[in-house]
Amino acid sequence: MDPMKAQQLAAELEVEMMADMYNRMTNACHRKCVPPHYKEAELSKGEAVCLDRCVAKYLDLHERLGRKLTELSVQDEEMMRKAATGTA
Amino acid sequence: MGIAFCVSPFYITCPSEAVGGLAIQYRSLSLPVWTHKKSLTTMAAQVTEADQMKQFREFLGTYNRLTENCFMDCVKDFTTREVKPEETSCSESCLQKYLKMTQRISMRFQEYHIQQNEALAAKAGLLGQPR
Repeated sequence: MDPMKAQQLAAELEVEMMADMYNRMTNACHRKCVPPHYKEAELSKGEAVCLDRCVAKYLDLHERLGRKLTELSVQDEEMMRKAATGTA
Repeated sequence: MGIAFCVSPFYITCPSEAVGGLAIQYRSLSLPVWTHKKSLTTMAAQVTEADQMKQFREFLGTYNRLTENCFMDCVKDFTTREVKPEETSCSESCLQKYLKMTQRISMRFQEYHIQQNEALAAKAGLLGQPR
């Protein structure tokens, strides 16, 4: 696959991933911060602040886990390579 | 009824007539920074039909999720077919709250990405400087 196309594909996949993450984050923060009482239509101060923190935490966690995942998969690859050269 | 619904955080403009002709002017959200990557590759300044379709699809998704959510939280009485007035008012509050919530989340999300981009740009700027 030529590099231009690969880059374009990567960009598209990233956009898709972001959209999915956004939806999941919205759902999660909704469950965590907005109790299902709905006595009034406005967001209370507590709920608003909770949402701000929730978004920050979610994005932080997302980044951390992404890095850890990459680490682990690199390690995995190394191990497999060693195993392959070992048995060769 | 002919007003356009834009709830999605992913698009710059809200088309004045949504595909299919649905309706409530709810101009709430603007484009998060990272989606510029995609628009740069297309190099198009105007909203294409594909974009409109995407936006409308997004809207329908939100509509569905919102309905399910408010139903689960507000409707508790199944001894009757009628929707009780408490359930109606609860679901109206639920709708308002949900939309406000998504607005706020979208705002914070964008802020975060703007920060990230600035940090990256600053880093790139520092690296690019001649010694």
